[in-house]
Amino acid sequence: MEKNPALLALTSSALLLPAYQGVRADAPPEFVELGMRYSKYEEDDTKGSKTFGGNSQRFDIDAAQFHLLAPVADNWAVAVDVQWEDMSGASPWFVGQSIDGDPKVIMSGASIEDTRTEVSVTTRYYYDRGNAGLNYVHSDEDDYESNAIALDGSFNSADGMTTYSAAISTSRDDIDPTQGAVPTNTLHDNKDISSAWVGVSQIISKNAIVRFGLAYTYRDGFLTDPYKLRDRRPDERKEWAVSGGYRQYFMWPDGALHADYRYFDDDWGVASHTVNLAWHQNLGRSTQVIPFLRYYSQGEADFFANIADTEKRYYADDYRLSSFGAITAGLRVRYEIGNWAISAVGERYETDESWGVFSGDESPALLNYWRYSFGLDYVFR
Amino acid sequence: MKHLTCLFILLCLSACETVQPWERGTLARREMQWEPDRMEISLQAQINASKEASSGGQGAAGGGCGCN
Repeated sequence: MEKNPALLALTSSALLLPAYQGVRADAPPEFVELGMRYSKYEEDDTKGSKTFGGNSQRFDIDAAQFHLLAPVADNWAVAVDVQWEDMSGASPWFVGQSIDGDPKVIMSGASIEDTRTEVSVTTRYYYDRGNAGLNYVHSDEDDYESNAIALDGSFNSADGMTTYSAAISTSRDDIDPTQGAVPTNTLHDNKDISSAWVGVSQIISKNAIVRFGLAYTYRDGFLTDPYKLRDRRPDERKEWAVSGGYRQYFMWPDGALHADYRYFDDDWGVASHTVNLAWHQNLGRSTQVIPFLRYYSQGEADFFANIADTEKRYYADDYRLSSFGAITAGLRVRYEIGNWAISAVGERYETDESWGVFSGDESPALLNYWRYSFGLDYVFR
Repeated sequence: MKHLTCLFILLCLSACETVQPWERGTLARREMQWEPDRMEISLQAQINASKEASSGGQGAAGGGCGCN
């Protein structure tokens, strides 16, 4: 029987499509890809009613990201990611009790200035039924340095319907708190982070795919916040995270639903639920509009208290260890023109103790922020 | 929670239909990727991890930062 050239071309190209989906695509990139993003992150001032000393400014961060992905041989690709951040502002120093009994924040006072540079290099090998990657990340800022290495791999079932994935990582972090603004809890210390993850994704129809993952992370070393006055945490932390994700394409109205969930639990008593929802709406062939919503709720750590009891073995008044709920709402827009793509993102993050599903005292230091990002991508086709 | 997760997995697996490689065009579309914009996702994850007590879940954790 003579083969139909059109059908042969179609089936050949279909076979080259990723057998979807593991951590990343199964096929090496065909072209060099470049991307950059500029982001502005602005925390709201802490209201005067929550602090001693009136309205207090918090952090503003400018961030620039660069991404390069290049095929380097038939089955190899290299990715380089660089991120710069410039941050300034103040953070909560400790929580005290006002005359009327309400907890109020004392901020760090003098503005903290810092810059961070992160460089990440990944080499990836693609084989018939999956891929494997080796990643090194170096992060450097005035008071913190981290070196991390990670290995990941994915493997497809014979029919390509199921993808099994796994990853492991280890890092060594050095902490050298900047002296001057506030007394610090250490002059020099370090911590190690080890982590493992397994995941499986399953095609469930021509238009839908689901995934599940299980992660374990072990932190060991100086886990206390060096800049907080009343902060002393265990030197070990064991974390578990179970996650699930779902993608469904709808022919009408030519869009896709993204739904993700994560349950987190650790031996500090923290537990959390995170739900992410996004709708990717295509408008014609070149524009995508993506509204998204995130809900987060966490329960407080066993040793958290607004007015920390420093007589105890462990204590902290850090709002990040308190019970609260958070809602993020935002919009992404992406426009493709030739080999270029332009993108913009705006999001608002708000917190409130009453929005959470876990009970606990409301920290006066909970924060809200705005974030805007602008991006440009180019493919060397 | 564990029972619900197992039930969900079983439901999904039982609902699977065999999708041939040439029928996976929709699944390969940009809007069907787990992470269509990696830079955006990594920045969001970093911000959330520095303002909340939980992090990770979609891979190994990697290193930390002094983000306050």
